[in-house]
Amino acid sequence: MADSKLNLGALEKQVAYSGEGISVRSLEEDIAKERTTQNTKVEELKVLRERNVEIQSALAEEVGKLRKFSDYLDGTATTGGFWAGFKEIVSHIPGFRNIAISKRSIEELLKQQYQISSRRVKEAAEYVDTLKRSEQDLYKEIDRINGKIIEMAKNEAMAVDYVLELKGLVDAMEAEKQAAEAGSVAYRDLEAKQDKARALLAQHSGNLQLYSAAEDRYVSLKDNTRKLVETIRNLGQDIQLYTTAAAIKLDMASGQIQAIGTAADASVVMLELKRSLDVMTESMNATTQFVSDTQVFFRRNLDGLIKELETFDENTTKMLDANLAESRKIEDERIAAAIAKAQKHKAEHPSAEKSPAV
Amino acid sequence: MSELVALHTQALAEPLASMHLRLLGRALEAGRLNKGFPDRRALAGTLKALAGDAHHGLYEQVFVDSRTGLPNLASLTRVLADREVGVETLRALDDQAALDERRGEAEVFERLARKRRYYELLSTMELAPVDRHRVWLRRHEPGQSRASFRVELTKLSASGCYVHLVVELTQTASLWAQTLVSVDAAGEVAQGTEALRGIVYRFADFDAETLFIRLHELEGVSVERVQRGVIGPALWAIPVGGRLHHVAEPGDDALARTWSAWLPGAAGAAPHLVVGLASDTAANDVREESSNDPLMPLLADNLTEAERARYSILRARHPFRVYKDRKFVVTGSARPLVEGVCSAAGTRNLIYELTS
Repeated sequence: MADSKLNLGALEKQVAYSGEGISVRSLEEDIAKERTTQNTKVEELKVLRERNVEIQSALAEEVGKLRKFSDYLDGTATTGGFWAGFKEIVSHIPGFRNIAISKRSIEELLKQQYQISSRRVKEAAEYVDTLKRSEQDLYKEIDRINGKIIEMAKNEAMAVDYVLELKGLVDAMEAEKQAAEAGSVAYRDLEAKQDKARALLAQHSGNLQLYSAAEDRYVSLKDNTRKLVETIRNLGQDIQLYTTAAAIKLDMASGQIQAIGTAADASVVMLELKRSLDVMTESMNATTQFVSDTQVFFRRNLDGLIKELETFDENTTKMLDANLAESRKIEDERIAAAIAKAQKHKAEHPSAEKSPAV
Repeated sequence: MSELVALHTQALAEPLASMHLRLLGRALEAGRLNKGFPDRRALAGTLKALAGDAHHGLYEQVFVDSRTGLPNLASLTRVLADREVGVETLRALDDQAALDERRGEAEVFERLARKRRYYELLSTMELAPVDRHRVWLRRHEPGQSRASFRVELTKLSASGCYVHLVVELTQTASLWAQTLVSVDAAGEVAQGTEALRGIVYRFADFDAETLFIRLHELEGVSVERVQRGVIGPALWAIPVGGRLHHVAEPGDDALARTWSAWLPGAAGAAPHLVVGLASDTAANDVREESSNDPLMPLLADNLTEAERARYSILRARHPFRVYKDRKFVVTGSARPLVEGVCSAAGTRNLIYELTS
């Protein structure tokens, strides 16, 4: 055994892989941990995307309403005349459809609409920072994964070297075994060392496969994370572009909103005045109609009425004449009766006619 | 740095914006505003929130009304919307220490740290509303179907000034009368109807007597007082970077004309400011009808002979008298200017001078 050229140091070599010891289970756990981080971000992204779609569509609607006012101001939105355009526009304002046109101030309603739109823009803009923060978190995650990849690559290389070294040793032992007498002490010693080398070879071949698989899986994880970062960055940029444009539009529109609100209110005051005048005109028309109808009635019926009045007078006169004739007749009869009575009395008492001499 | 960017909209960049806002805040404090004016603290809160040291550079500019120098609709709305959105955002954000710790990592963390500070500040502040409408029950006499109310409206008017309006009225219920205010079943809480809100809102920009007549002529309504308090316009000029930035569209009244004529010759490194604080009352208890406002004479003094006759018939139907007044807050440099305008109009006005 003294002339053996075998380098047996490999059997006692301490192979120091960096990081924690690897096993199929520990590798699965590590990958699962990284995936959880990624999944959390994907879930966050899903929520953000849904909320963003919600806000952006609401925002588009709100800003659209305000743009209608703006177009209206420019005179480009009213094809059906002033009031048609005006009614179409105010119908977009919340709560306006159900109330009479003169009840609420349009300036006030427009300002409310403006405030709702501004809040929507702010809400959407808040997501820009949230996404940027997620983006930064994921970049940090990529750094960490890169660290893992390098670590796995180094360990893999280390495992490769050691496995090759062990393989060489096993082969060399096999060659020496061929030269040794079968069943001799030297042969048995070589066999024992060869078994030990094979055991180490099996263990480190397993490590080699695990580190190689780990490296590949971390690379794949990194690619997905990078895609996620890009998605988040693109979404953030889209939202930023949109909200910046909307915010500028709102900032620039505030003067117009107030101006048109006041103008619309003035128009409503004019409309009220017009209504008031309409009611007055209606009253005047009704009164005039009444007077006119009455006049026509009299014109048509006056002769008849007068005739009726005359007929009445004639009848009364006749009645009065009849009554008078009747009264005279009765009176004459009474006088005649009295005269007859007096003549009879004289005839019965003739001496009473001579008066005594005085 | 002080460009006119849209209709009546002037954009002020830093540091001009903060200088102007601070100057306005000081003027409001010096103006000794009573309850007839918009709430000073709320407006001062908005001015403070708009300044650069409140938002820590999150915004590049502030929009003011180019006629009145006051924050416009966009600016008032900005801080109100930020406060509303901030409540939600603060819940989701990391704490201040954690954000501060990550400031060096990326621009977004540095920005979020500033944003958190801004939102925290806003959550503690009282801010000026774009408009606020409130109704208070003063007296309720169910036996007579009668109730007295105080209606208050604060609004950023279309003229760019900030207006507070108080109306005291009595309403008697009748079959024909339109209900302006409803009282709850307990007879304790009053709520203005849409009709009242609409009338008051629309007429808030007009003078007190117009609204008095409009409301008083409604069936069943008897108005006792209409009072308006108006903050603005604020004529301003601030030298920054070797250039004198100033109010872009100062209007066309006597003061604005005098200001425009005076400004090119105004020298010095100090800012110039004139803030008008007008009050206008139409009420039954005003002793004598007069105007001490050099920019707003009585309506009767502005009418032609024929119109005056008609106006006197209209006024004879109503029991109120009108009193108008205006006080000013000025920087020392602009004091002679305002004194000249008041003297020309024959009015004696309070002028508060801002000390540097």
